[in-house]
Amino acid sequence: MKKFINKPENVVEEMLEGIYLAHPAVTYAANDKHCLVTATPKPGKVGIATGGGSGHLPLFLGYVGDGMLDGCAVGGIFQSPSAEQMLEVTKYIDQGAGVLYIYGNYTGDIINFDMAAELAEFEDIRVTSVVGNDDAASSVIGEEHKRRGVAGIFFVYKAAGAAAAEGLDLDEVTRIAEKARLNTRTMGVALSSCIVPEIGHPTFEIGETEMEIGMGIHGEPGISRRDLEPADDVVDALMERLFAENLYESGNVAVLVNGLGGTPREELYILYRRVAQRLSERNITAKHVFIGEYATAMEMAGASISLTKLDDELDRLIGAAANTPFFTRLKG
Amino acid sequence: MDQINTEHMVDVFAGLAAFFANKRDFLIALDGKVGDSDLGLTMSKAFAAAHEAVAAETEPAIATYLKDAGMAMAKAAPSTMGTLMATGFLRASKALDGVDAIGTAEMAAFWRAYSDGVAQRGKAKVGDKTVLDVLEPIASSLETSAAQDLALPQAMTKAVEAASDALENTKTMVAQHGKAAAFQEKSKGLQDAGATVGLFIIQSMTATVHAG
Repeated sequence: MKKFINKPENVVEEMLEGIYLAHPAVTYAANDKHCLVTATPKPGKVGIATGGGSGHLPLFLGYVGDGMLDGCAVGGIFQSPSAEQMLEVTKYIDQGAGVLYIYGNYTGDIINFDMAAELAEFEDIRVTSVVGNDDAASSVIGEEHKRRGVAGIFFVYKAAGAAAAEGLDLDEVTRIAEKARLNTRTMGVALSSCIVPEIGHPTFEIGETEMEIGMGIHGEPGISRRDLEPADDVVDALMERLFAENLYESGNVAVLVNGLGGTPREELYILYRRVAQRLSERNITAKHVFIGEYATAMEMAGASISLTKLDDELDRLIGAAANTPFFTRLKG
Repeated sequence: MDQINTEHMVDVFAGLAAFFANKRDFLIALDGKVGDSDLGLTMSKAFAAAHEAVAAETEPAIATYLKDAGMAMAKAAPSTMGTLMATGFLRASKALDGVDAIGTAEMAAFWRAYSDGVAQRGKAKVGDKTVLDVLEPIASSLETSAAQDLALPQAMTKAVEAASDALENTKTMVAQHGKAAAFQEKSKGLQDAGATVGLFIIQSMTATVHAG
């Protein structure tokens, strides 16, 4: 595998240096480049922090900006950042209104964010947490608490970020993040593995003509492996699994067709074409559609489909304007 | 000493730092059998940092010292065990807020908060072959001693006995958490490395109490 790197062990640090040079809207706290924060904190606003391993751009740090997040603790490739780094981000972004943590359901992240919340309490900063668990493939209905957080966390960021930008208080912003979380499901499919730079070989083996349904964004195994089918059949398989969640019967949804890093946008639109057909058969309206790379897994070829069931409140907040280095939306 | 006063707290942490420095290589070897052998490094680093932070505190109070220790450990040793032990001290700090002397009842409250905090943060339960399998018996033993109005030195000695028995007991358990869980068969017959840390903490504190 060919990669544009200098030294594998410097990948994250040099990526961050590039991001700071390209995007003056973000800076870092505590003299630690892993503590990425907005350069323009808004006085009195609820702060929203996220964090997690590197290797998923634009997740997580790419959504720090107006109308979305205020800070992100950046870990090594697929590794949790430390509680100390999360605390430094928290201290920087707290504007007296408290801080909401939104992150994915992974043990290292949970232990460290819980610790950071406890340390923040000693600093008299009120912290709440919402843990994304949208990956429908990673556990059965009834055991949703075991599910991983994947690309659908974007909708949790978007809704909570817009609510905080409207000036809502910490309890309200937390309630909205929780509602977005409960209404969001994702299903993914991988065609190839990712390669962690310091490891240097594929995380898992997959044949030239095979696909893996339901894999994780670090290369965790999925729920079935079979011969690659035409795009419409792949979408049907993913949508059937999403519809089985009994969340999407009619009404409005937001849709994200996410590329995992190694799939061109052309193919994502071919996938979306079928997603739209399947929604319309059920009289479901796609009110907000996002297509592109939102949560990647290095150079993994593959895609995921996320749906968020919308009520009026989520419709308004997901449609609201936002401006971040990696995601911009004019008033929708 | 019959109780640990505020001015004894620096000695308690000096004792812990020395104890874990001394046990560093032992823990490295023990953890190396089924883990990634960093436990000796992270624990000696964590308690050295805790001692340093406590010694540097200019507003002495028991709860403040415990908070300083927890904060310093979290920063110095952000591994799973480092974070769990830091959590224990932070919870103990909350439990002993406003207390200016640790007798048997307060020591029981310390270990109950410590044990419950670790259980909650680590999402482990008794029997999973973790540090909790030693922390929980320490807390229970001290609670029994407190109910019997036993003096602190005697209560501490009993707690060390309870912890030693509990550690021995982990040899019969199968690991459910961390890297050891990947070596379940291999972990049989071995005392749990994390649980060993629990015994070392109570042994060190007991030695300080008996040294008077």
